[in-house]
Amino acid sequence: MRLGIAVNSQRCMGCWCCFTACKDEHCGFASKLSAAQPMMGQKWIDVREWERGDSSRHVKSASVPTLCAHCKDPACLKAGKDGAVYKRDDGLVIIDPEKSKGQKAIVDACPIKVVFWNEELEIPQKCTGCAELLDDPEYLAYLGDPALKQPRCVEACPNQALFFGDLDDPNSDIAKIVASERATQLEPLAGQESVVKWLNVPTIFLAGTVYQPKELDEVLIGAKVKLKCKETGESWETETNYFGDWEVEWLPKNKTIDIVIEADGYKAASYTAKTDADHYVDTTYMVRD
Amino acid sequence: MAEKVTHSIVVGGAIAIHTQDGVIRRVRPIVLDNNDPKGWVIKARSKVGGPQDAEYTPNRKVQPAFIALTEKNRAYAYDRIRYPMIREDFVETPDGKNRNTENRGISGYRRASWDEALDLVVREIKRIQTQYGPEAITAMTSSHHSWGNVGYKISTFARFFRMLGYTEVKDNPDSWEGFTWGAPHTYGYYWRLGCPETFDLLEDGLQNVETMIMWSHDPDTTHGGYAGNESVMWRHWLDDMGVQFIYIDPYNNFSSIKQADKWIAPRPGTDAALAEAIAHVWVTEGLYDKEYIAKHAHRFEEWCDYILGKGTDKLAKTPKWAEIETGIPAADIKALARRWATTKTMGGSGMRAGFGGVCRTVNGTEFARTMVLLFAMQGMGKPGQNMWGGNTGAPMDYDFWFGGYSDPLAMIWNEPIADNVAVNPVMQKLYRPNLPDAILDGHYEWYGEGFCGQGIDQEFTQNVYPAPGCSKVHMFWRYGGTFMGTMLDTNKWVRMYKSPELEFVVNQDIHFHGEARMSDVVLPACTNLERVDIGELCSSGNGGYQSHSQTGCSWQVVVFQDKAIEPLWDSQSDYWIFAETAKRLGWGEKFTEGRTELDWCKRYWEKSDLCERISWEDFMKKGYYIPPVPEDRVRRYGFRWFAEEFPCDTPNHKPFQEEGKLGTFTGKWEFVSESLQYWAPHDEVRTPIATYKHSWEGHHAIKAKKYPLQLISPHPRFDYHTQHNSSTPWFWEIPENRVYINGNPYLVARLHPKKAEERGIKDGDIIELYNERGSVLCVAVISYRCEENTVHAYGSSGIYNPVTPGEESMDIGGCVNILTPGRLIGDYVPGMAPNSTLLEVRKWEDELPSGQFFEDKLDKVAKEGDPNAETCIEIIEGHGFEKIQEKVRKNYLKKGAAV
Repeated sequence: MRLGIAVNSQRCMGCWCCFTACKDEHCGFASKLSAAQPMMGQKWIDVREWERGDSSRHVKSASVPTLCAHCKDPACLKAGKDGAVYKRDDGLVIIDPEKSKGQKAIVDACPIKVVFWNEELEIPQKCTGCAELLDDPEYLAYLGDPALKQPRCVEACPNQALFFGDLDDPNSDIAKIVASERATQLEPLAGQESVVKWLNVPTIFLAGTVYQPKELDEVLIGAKVKLKCKETGESWETETNYFGDWEVEWLPKNKTIDIVIEADGYKAASYTAKTDADHYVDTTYMVRD
Repeated sequence: MAEKVTHSIVVGGAIAIHTQDGVIRRVRPIVLDNNDPKGWVIKARSKVGGPQDAEYTPNRKVQPAFIALTEKNRAYAYDRIRYPMIREDFVETPDGKNRNTENRGISGYRRASWDEALDLVVREIKRIQTQYGPEAITAMTSSHHSWGNVGYKISTFARFFRMLGYTEVKDNPDSWEGFTWGAPHTYGYYWRLGCPETFDLLEDGLQNVETMIMWSHDPDTTHGGYAGNESVMWRHWLDDMGVQFIYIDPYNNFSSIKQADKWIAPRPGTDAALAEAIAHVWVTEGLYDKEYIAKHAHRFEEWCDYILGKGTDKLAKTPKWAEIETGIPAADIKALARRWATTKTMGGSGMRAGFGGVCRTVNGTEFARTMVLLFAMQGMGKPGQNMWGGNTGAPMDYDFWFGGYSDPLAMIWNEPIADNVAVNPVMQKLYRPNLPDAILDGHYEWYGEGFCGQGIDQEFTQNVYPAPGCSKVHMFWRYGGTFMGTMLDTNKWVRMYKSPELEFVVNQDIHFHGEARMSDVVLPACTNLERVDIGELCSSGNGGYQSHSQTGCSWQVVVFQDKAIEPLWDSQSDYWIFAETAKRLGWGEKFTEGRTELDWCKRYWEKSDLCERISWEDFMKKGYYIPPVPEDRVRRYGFRWFAEEFPCDTPNHKPFQEEGKLGTFTGKWEFVSESLQYWAPHDEVRTPIATYKHSWEGHHAIKAKKYPLQLISPHPRFDYHTQHNSSTPWFWEIPENRVYINGNPYLVARLHPKKAEERGIKDGDIIELYNERGSVLCVAVISYRCEENTVHAYGSSGIYNPVTPGEESMDIGGCVNILTPGRLIGDYVPGMAPNSTLLEVRKWEDELPSGQFFEDKLDKVAKEGDPNAETCIEIIEGHGFEKIQEKVRKNYLKKGAAV
């Protein structure tokens, strides 16, 4: 058995239920596995968000619920001395609140900055995967079905953006979602295996709008938009929609992309764009042949 | 250490509460167990690329919004009112004069016992009644600060004041002004206060819709009113099916930024122009349901003439014309119009299809009316063609009646819940948005009954304050929540409170919010978690003015709102406070009818259909009841009866509606309104033909030269009314909400990069939002999500921190309603228009004021009783919360040992 949490970024609406439930569980309350989280200053699960795009013509946002990845080979475990960080049989990584005293290196070791330093107690703290609740036979016993027990963040998620369960059971919801969605390990964890699985964390989009000649005040529907990566030769193709809009998602980062827009009866328009960030390439007014 | 689990409903949804040794341990969603009924099943299309058919059924948990998960914080909040308090320099003069009323908001408080506070209140009630008459007392409730049929505002509050006799303050429909004052003149539905019926439209939508028009609509933020996150999966399902979401909003709101296939950003307040241009495309290109219109529309041709420029203004409402007004390219308007007309399209505005920020602009009525007409032109009521915002209209058991907050049969002032009906003998009225004007000027006239659910004529009743032969009001009892952040021109309220006209001000609330700080006596009420009550999730009642609002939920849930913990500090339940006051006035028995709060709860079980479904004991034990939706349910799609011409079958109450007809004068869609032609033919704000008009506070106004930006302050994402942000410092760590600097949580205000650059403002800078009404310091977020002329900052700030308390001062709490106009939309349109606000923004270069400015008052009172009391800052940043819990726990265990 390998307990895990799947995070489907595409589904996350940034409602902050996970964050609030986690705070509700851990702020001011110690458990067998952790000291109390201070009332302010730590986010054991954070919804990391950024605005995507450089124009009001096409703007999106990314929301990535970010919690301890419970890595297979945790950097924090290596940084910890005297068994301060340990891994349970179910795969969850726990910081011992007593043994870790004074070990700030555990905080610094985390590549995704989800371990926090408690100034007052001088200990590092982070997500426990709610293992203390999962371990407790009394917790939610009133529901009469142990399968209904989930970490607080997962239970609170209304979007089915978070899934919890046994990654090794191919029939579990989590195994199915991990198998069917785009795996996108967080960049600082590249190459690291973890039982928290991030899915559909966006890369880069390029987008634009195509109009008929300006004086007509009409969008151009069905124009062909072809993208080709200068460095890798990869290519993508799309069409403008009923608003004359086109968009290509999931582009590789930090590449140069050649773009050609074609439509019958018009001269082709071409652009070159960088995928250093999400870009709205242009509002294109096509010119007749 | 055994945990007790109880249940409750709060404005953010339904919750399960775990308590341990008398303190709240955690607050969770209600997770259904295997004995709870199966959810409804809707058969519809599969997601893109999936098999042909799919079945949709809700998650087996009742999903609250995140605000509901902060109820533990709200109970142990730093700004909790712990003890009865009396203003330090309040003098109980025998004639009500010379009471230092100008110091309200400035002076501190001293701790009082309940006896002292209530005896004072009772002496003042008697004095005012004797000196002026019963109408000299007025009282006003919050906009939903708690939940439950017994303890709630229209119930216990109303029972007390109806028995006492008082000048009622009529509510304005502050969340859906334009729909209330506009839409009934187009399609009736005044009995739903202008909102459409959306019965079973979730199924219709899942099966048929291709395009969703989300016009001034942010469903993930407004939570269907009180439905929490119950409907979010529905929109994911639609999205997965490839349904196209088009969002129209000057701010690319939080639902839009995630789900929009297209975001269209009109300049604030110009939406009616956009709507007219869409109509222009349809009329010129013949893109509407001609057969339907021929049969069901009234004076359509005259309206077309207006759109085409053949009306009195001789101005064609072309996309090019609208481009200049709205800033949206004409080509995009055409593309929008064509997509709408050539696909099955549903859409709506705001949380129940007839809400949204646009209807809270000066042009709100004209927008709402034109929007309704657009849907009518596409055959409203036919499959996949309707007003529906993707957040109401779930299947439900229409035969199960429990009773909700606006249902007259579900109130403890009325039969059958009470044995005797409580009737208010005072006829004089006041009107909420202009309460300060009435008090300050001593005379006020207005039209309308606030909520005009009984008939269109109610909009035109004339009201005068003081009513002939009546005294002005001199005592004000304010109950629950604060309007500093939700009513407009906040400083007007400050001036009102300092007026000697108000000889005595009582405030009964849970938290020490803006208005509580302006009162003479503060009565501490407890939270929902500290008292018993009974209620249904998101239900305004199946006979109320927003009938069947619980169809915004996946699960219909009636909850026994058990007491999780004892009232904290000296707080008491609202019912206790009113009953105790009634007792001191000599009619305690009459008020209670000998019932405890629990007895009243049982009364609801007994008088509703609940008693036929579950025993009282089982209900109390389980904590909630979910009426199953019958598998062979009858579908009653909204407006289908009208489109297909059979007798109305929807379960909506509709007084005086003729069979098969709409509730307008003609029973048809009125493109020229006969009701306005009859009642107010010369009104320039709301004309018989709805037309786009320049706002008195919009970009055409002279004032725009000085204040060129436009503020929109929509209903908040990180708060509800004014209840959660102030009690929950965790929320101050959400970057899209607030930034905690120097002991103060600054609200985020958003503006477009271009306008920011012109003003030298960078992301994260402290900025001052200001106009002639006041100024507010915020933190700048520079974002392409703003239309260029727009400043976006959420309204309903529960945090109100004037730098000079009790004065018309700069605010650092984010109470942007200080900037909004206090004026009504028009003489005959008594709505408010917060989203018609001009302002300017500048970078704040001065030193920041430090901290908050009311905690010292609370700390002082707390320390009077207990030198070791936890201070506000200790609760926010330190261990105050844990210490409070520790003390309560000790007490609880000691009492337990004694038993």
